[in-house]
Amino acid sequence: MERDGGGTDGLSRRRGVDWDAAEASPEFQELVGARRRFVLPATIFFLTWYFAFILLAGYAEDFMGDSVYQGLTVGYCLALTQFLMVFVLGLMYLRRAENTYDPLARKVAENAGAALEAEPQSAVPESRAQRRGAASAGGRPEVQS
Amino acid sequence: MSVLAAINLEALAIFAVVLGITLGITYWASQRVTGTEGFWAAGRSITGFQNGLAISGDYLSAASFLGIAGLIFIFGFDGFLYSVGFLVAFLTVMFLLAERMRNSGKYTIADVLSFRLRERPARSAAALGTLSVVAFYLIAQMVGAGVLIQALVGIKFWLAVLLTGTFMLCYVIFGGMLATTWVQIIKACLLMVGILVMSLFVLERVGFNPIELFNEAERQTTSESTFSLGPGTFLKTPLDTLSLGMALVLGTAGLPHILMRFFTVPDGKAARSSVVWAMFIIGGFYILTTFIGFGARAILGQDGVEAAGTGGNLAAPNLAEELGGGAGTFGGDLFLAVIAAVAFATILAVVAGLVLSASGAVAHDIWSNVIRKGRDSEHEEILVARIAAVSIGAIAMAIAIAGGEGLNVSFMVGLAFAVAASANFPALVLALSWKRFNTTGAVTGVLTGVVSSIGLVIISPIVWTGPPGEADTGLFTWYDLNNPGLISIPLGFLGCFLGTVLSKERGAERSFQELYVRSETGLGAEGSTVTHAEGNGVAQPEDSTVATR
Repeated sequence: MERDGGGTDGLSRRRGVDWDAAEASPEFQELVGARRRFVLPATIFFLTWYFAFILLAGYAEDFMGDSVYQGLTVGYCLALTQFLMVFVLGLMYLRRAENTYDPLARKVAENAGAALEAEPQSAVPESRAQRRGAASAGGRPEVQS
Repeated sequence: MSVLAAINLEALAIFAVVLGITLGITYWASQRVTGTEGFWAAGRSITGFQNGLAISGDYLSAASFLGIAGLIFIFGFDGFLYSVGFLVAFLTVMFLLAERMRNSGKYTIADVLSFRLRERPARSAAALGTLSVVAFYLIAQMVGAGVLIQALVGIKFWLAVLLTGTFMLCYVIFGGMLATTWVQIIKACLLMVGILVMSLFVLERVGFNPIELFNEAERQTTSESTFSLGPGTFLKTPLDTLSLGMALVLGTAGLPHILMRFFTVPDGKAARSSVVWAMFIIGGFYILTTFIGFGARAILGQDGVEAAGTGGNLAAPNLAEELGGGAGTFGGDLFLAVIAAVAFATILAVVAGLVLSASGAVAHDIWSNVIRKGRDSEHEEILVARIAAVSIGAIAMAIAIAGGEGLNVSFMVGLAFAVAASANFPALVLALSWKRFNTTGAVTGVLTGVVSSIGLVIISPIVWTGPPGEADTGLFTWYDLNNPGLISIPLGFLGCFLGTVLSKERGAERSFQELYVRSETGLGAEGSTVTHAEGNGVAQPEDSTVATR
């Protein structure tokens, strides 16, 4: 459990994570805002385009059955645009997450007194530790770190 | 046609190879899984790409492979409508849930729902939602498995169901999530290779010009056929199409066996990349199914409809046989056997994922956290999980065998999506994003979703069929939706909303702020054992998150 090297110290600080302060911090608000600025319009766009496609299939059968080129119909082409939409939005989100959201999230974590990198081994929010404190004595092995 | 003949020896041999490989993996996994984190989350050791494959393997059921190819074969374009909904759904999963689930949960969706609510009622509600979805989905898959294996290999329906159920239980009981994951990964690879090879064979017939394939399919349309390159042949009422579309695009984000997969990766970043991998794999798959469906129409023609059975489920295997050289030839038999084995692996991977998520709801949520209040040992939780898996598997097999081939598979899968979209999805999304949302809201929301979606199906035309020869009317003439999503999904949200605003929360132990920060940043997320996985595998009773739960 090499990651717990400086753990005692980190753990105690993390136990004391002030979630209200972290939530109110400008970095967190920036993170949430940045994510929302992409996810909200993207969600509205994909739901609109998807339901437009479904409604066209339901109410404009003839139009959807029209030929674009020989046996290739309008419906099939519009269906392919749905696939394209999924791939493009997926990649756009992935890129934004790596370039923008992840660095911001790391900053929030650092400011909250715990480097995100050190989290995995010892992340115990205080309330959870207290609430289940009795349980660990009852059976679950206590960690040796 | 040899599809319906007695025992198919090639198919049996290839089935045996596939089953042998999966049992080998299960043995390998059983040596590595001991703790709950190993059993439920594969030690969080799965990479983003592997999880993308596993999500595809978990998601693409036989209904996707044989069902959609068959629908396109019989009805043309309308079959493709399902594919679009199934795929677009992953945008909902990615934008609203994937990373947040990973960051705030542990093993089940109930972990996320109950994070900042009163644990026992919220957890019980989430477990009810999970079990309702799995019930419909699992029985549908079991019936589908029985029908297909009976047709493809020639063994009896009940024996086919029994075999499927037994192997499914082996993976889950002995190998937990690790074995289930690798069965799903192998199945995804087999399925993609199988459908790619078949598509190449089909396209070769038309000079690798897909448009020529559509032209040829159109030419095979006779007066008695329902095939069309445009919509309106299968989904006849626009509102029903809309209702189904809603259930598909929101339901995936409420499927417990899919959401559970996000707990198997090391962090939120891997959860996110696994969704994008899954989008490309699943999207590629659905485009290829159109080549299979239209190819079956072009090559088998209207004469092939009868041989393709109910819903055209056997169109793809029949096409494989024809592409290999026809019935009775070595190539034909071999290709048919390979596609049959791929279909079997497909079903096994899906049902294993379903049973694992249901046993998570029983053992982790209801037993460990609601009944024993977290005082049980990991050993006890896994023991209960195994007992639960056997019981759930046995009940599903019994219902599948008793209900027999008469149960309508695609209808039950549609219903599972509707329950997931109406009960699980609203509660999960609101728990993660609406500050005021509370325990009462979660409980009323899940209950409203489950009751309304199942209730509406009970009064629907699918259950209340009209007199022979006349249109199905339903119990009431004013309600004629086959899929309840259009009404039950808004009702699910309404239940969450009313329950919340009409009640006062007391005694929640963690704040919305904690969940909010944690879900958005990963701060305090459940850890990964990847770094010390070598040597002792994922078997360690690892970190303090488990120790203090």
